[in-house]
Amino acid sequence: MSGSLHDVKNEIWMKTVVISIGILVLGVIAYGVLAMGVGSMKHHEWEEAHDELENAESSWNTANETGTLAEQESANLVWEDAHHADIDAHLSFLTWDTAGKTIMVMFIIYAAFYGIAGFFNSIQPEEDDHHYGDDHEEHHGSASPILMAGGILLFMMGFPGFVTTCKAWLGLDYDADMGGFMLSSIGSMILIMGIGNWWNEDLKGFPEQIATSHPFEGQDIRKAGMWIFLISEMMVFATFFSSYLRMRTGWCTQWAVDAGKCDVVDTTTASDLLRHDVMTLLPGAINTFALIISSYTIVLALKAAKNVDWQPSKNKLMAKLFPSRKKAVRNYLLITLALGSLFIVLKLVEWSHLIAEGFTIDTQAGSIFFVATGAHGLHVFIGLLVMLFMIFKADALEDGYDENNGQGIEYFGLYWHFVDLAWVAIFPAFYLY
Amino acid sequence: MGEHKYTGPIAGIFQKIADKMGKDVYYVNFLILMFFTLFEVAAVFFSKVPGTDIEITRGAVWAVLIVVGIIKGYGIAAFFMHLKGDPFIYTRTALFPVLFVVLMLWGIGLSNPDGIDNLPAWCTPNWDYSYVTE
Repeated sequence: MSGSLHDVKNEIWMKTVVISIGILVLGVIAYGVLAMGVGSMKHHEWEEAHDELENAESSWNTANETGTLAEQESANLVWEDAHHADIDAHLSFLTWDTAGKTIMVMFIIYAAFYGIAGFFNSIQPEEDDHHYGDDHEEHHGSASPILMAGGILLFMMGFPGFVTTCKAWLGLDYDADMGGFMLSSIGSMILIMGIGNWWNEDLKGFPEQIATSHPFEGQDIRKAGMWIFLISEMMVFATFFSSYLRMRTGWCTQWAVDAGKCDVVDTTTASDLLRHDVMTLLPGAINTFALIISSYTIVLALKAAKNVDWQPSKNKLMAKLFPSRKKAVRNYLLITLALGSLFIVLKLVEWSHLIAEGFTIDTQAGSIFFVATGAHGLHVFIGLLVMLFMIFKADALEDGYDENNGQGIEYFGLYWHFVDLAWVAIFPAFYLY
Repeated sequence: MGEHKYTGPIAGIFQKIADKMGKDVYYVNFLILMFFTLFEVAAVFFSKVPGTDIEITRGAVWAVLIVVGIIKGYGIAAFFMHLKGDPFIYTRTALFPVLFVVLMLWGIGLSNPDGIDNLPAWCTPNWDYSYVTE
């Protein structure tokens, strides 16, 4: 008998490659339409607005030198209008340009991840050679997480050298550090091997291991492990919050002035730039809704997978979107992926606006904002890559996710809900307060 | 999942609403999360309660953000992460880092410039400030 629970048909590799090429094409189209098309138009409008601003500035200077007071005031008003128009045009250009570039980069990574790993996992021998000599399916644990942890360790050790070397290659005034670069590259390769191996092990499927000792006795080991992992994640985000709160209590922000705590503003926070206008607050608010909706869709995916009596909806549209249990699970995961991708795109658009307004990482307020929200964004993105694997699994296996292997969605869901939970704290702390 | 009937003072309310609507608790939780997100954004965005002259103070916004954060956090952890239906060991596991978070908050309080001489009287019973040089 086979040592694995699931077989992936060899012909799946063709579908995987076609899908990854499709993702790549979509990314290029998005870049073409958003960044090259609309972005170029917006860039042209920005250039025109900038020319008008320069003309207005010149007229204002002339009025200041030779004009009457009324002419000076009039020229000042014209300059102010031109200045606002210039900023609006710049931000509008950044919106389209950043969105196009972000989607393209994300989709290249998606295509590589889905294509390479999907291809690797689809060309496994049909006849598995894991024979244990009896009918008992066994799982001996996995070394992949240790392999991945080792890879991450080497990657992080060499990362400063990696960055310096990349800067040197880009022609900037830095000396290449090939030792660090090589260490980081070897770490990346070990990490990718670990991910590939883990993917392969999970795809085959094994019965859940059950903990046999206190305090998780009788519980699924993977679930307990996920919670232990989430503890460490809570501590990571707690360090961001504690450092932010500590710094924040020492700043005289607009909020502190409004609350009568101090008199003169000495620090501008991201929330000072974001919370007073609908358009600046909108990306953060949409992102909050996107994460909440995505948390709900992952719950729906799990419900569909676990439901042995699953029936298509009586609603025609819903029945078309979710025609079978297998497709319902896959499509709920796809919706979650789309919402998570929207989150990343809007976050980077928002960052580009903040940086354009002078809120950069080289200030104390900017540093903690970009590090905390960036770490959260990275968690979202890693979650999206895991979700790609789950979409592949939901699509590639004959029955997709069902009541026997649906735990994978549940355990990933814990991670995804945690990311949502972290945002519940980040959004008010960094965007509203 | 989905079969479990939630009980208790807060989870019971979620369950009752779900039963009345004929939906499951996850759907109710989703709606509540969406509503409170709108509420916290509105609390920050408006300087006065819409349609009235009542000013929304900074303190009130603070209170709204904290209370709404707790409600949303509860909704996600209890229902979406199933802590309410799962064995209590998972809740204990999830609460373990809270100890360290409290320690960090304590450290923030002690290292705050206001922590030396601007704490309210009830918080500094009979403290000796003679060592403070400036």
